[in-house]
Amino acid sequence: MEEEKGTTGSINLSLNGKEEKINLSGQVHHLPCCIKFNGHCTVSQYFKPKLKGMEIDGLAVEEAHFRGRKLQGTTISLPNGYAGFVLAKNNSGKRKACDVSEGNSNDWEMKAQFDKLTYWNHDAPPSKDDPFLRSFHWFTVAEAVSFSIICCLKNFFPPYFEIPLLQLHKQVKAEDLATIDAALA
Amino acid sequence: MGSEAPLPKWASTPCIMGIDEAGRGPVLGPMVYGCLYCARSYQKTLATLNFADSKTLKEEKREELFENLKADDSIGWSVDVIDPRELSAKMLKKNKVNLNEISHDSAIGLINRVLNMGVLLTEILLEYSDQSKGITRLMKENGGLVYLDTVGDADKYRIKLSERFPSIKFVVAKKADSLYPVVSGASIVAKVTRDRALREWVLEETSENMHRSFGSGYPGDPETKAWLAHHKHSIFGFPTLVRFSWGTCTSYYKDMVEVESDKVDEDVGYGSSGKQLKLSNVGFGKASKRKIEEIESSGKGRCKFFHSRKLEQLTHF
Repeated sequence: MEEEKGTTGSINLSLNGKEEKINLSGQVHHLPCCIKFNGHCTVSQYFKPKLKGMEIDGLAVEEAHFRGRKLQGTTISLPNGYAGFVLAKNNSGKRKACDVSEGNSNDWEMKAQFDKLTYWNHDAPPSKDDPFLRSFHWFTVAEAVSFSIICCLKNFFPPYFEIPLLQLHKQVKAEDLATIDAALA
Repeated sequence: MGSEAPLPKWASTPCIMGIDEAGRGPVLGPMVYGCLYCARSYQKTLATLNFADSKTLKEEKREELFENLKADDSIGWSVDVIDPRELSAKMLKKNKVNLNEISHDSAIGLINRVLNMGVLLTEILLEYSDQSKGITRLMKENGGLVYLDTVGDADKYRIKLSERFPSIKFVVAKKADSLYPVVSGASIVAKVTRDRALREWVLEETSENMHRSFGSGYPGDPETKAWLAHHKHSIFGFPTLVRFSWGTCTSYYKDMVEVESDKVDEDVGYGSSGKQLKLSNVGFGKASKRKIEEIESSGKGRCKFFHSRKLEQLTHF
């Protein structure tokens, strides 16, 4: 597959007739391993995180065990304005011929939502230097980048160009961000 | 857990102490280190108390002897209960700690505990001065003595302990639990504590259909085997009562969901004895480098900002 081309698809974040949205806050765990299984599992019966009663870098340390390994982690809130979603492929049967020719449908729908998650390290206690926490820096950068691009391009185009401009921001390449890197490192 | 304060008078006279373990071999439950100490002058009486290697005694007899020694004012004791979660976690750490090291550390911890209580285990220097001959000499005599059943090579273990406690004299021997009554006593303390801990174990997991007929915990015990088979879980492996680092668990892993660790350095483990398992055998598959890149965003080839945060652009989802 050509990486640059990407794919198109849709993500439906509406409730789709479901009565209440499922909130998984506090039940989403990011483990330092890949469990090769997709499906339901009674996680809370076996996975019992405990607060250690101490803080590192302002993060409340939790401890749990998975397959004999000691995991240390912390529960973090997603930044304001962001939400976590559990998505599932939309297999509602309304698949069109063109989807099939693409190989796979790429339409997703929201199954549950969360605003908190717990990430775990094997052996090491959580710290603000963990890549997972540091990846949140991207949110700040993304906001700054899209804002500056829209601002500078707005000088050249009339307001109704805003939609294509937003798409443009998605195509920002790593090279464009090299300078921001230096500023944030 | 151990004998209660205040410290008896005899503890300030030279004492002997025995240290032994229970539950080293079982695939489940805690490992217990126990120690028993008394004044050197009590040694002869100790020999009459029918302490024997705990393995040769029936459970009721062990319980009875334990109650007797607890009631005996001339005897002190202490235990270190090592949780199975701690055993698994240490043996499966990135920098693995093998069972011998865990055992040594536990014995060292007990010695420290008893020393800190003020029990005289160290050798004492006696100054002998003979005025008529005009000589003064220092003699080591009738000091404390600590007896241990060996873990690994006896000489190496003794040297390790002597380096740690230069003023204590150690006797490290195979089958110390049947040779020295003070070690036999320690073996009873350890064994009874381990059996009780297992009997009263509260399973952390809250799944239905769990029971507590663990058997002895030894891998060959049919009851233990049945319990393991009944309590295996395709995602979580076993309840945390089980020592995941034990070879016995391997045969169950083939029915379980594969778990890949996302760190390359996980399978380089060192400090492992011959008995220790490689990760591929204990439910965490070895992930090849290429596969790791598939399961973990590496941010490779991108600018430093993304690389250090393991962020990469997702074009297919």
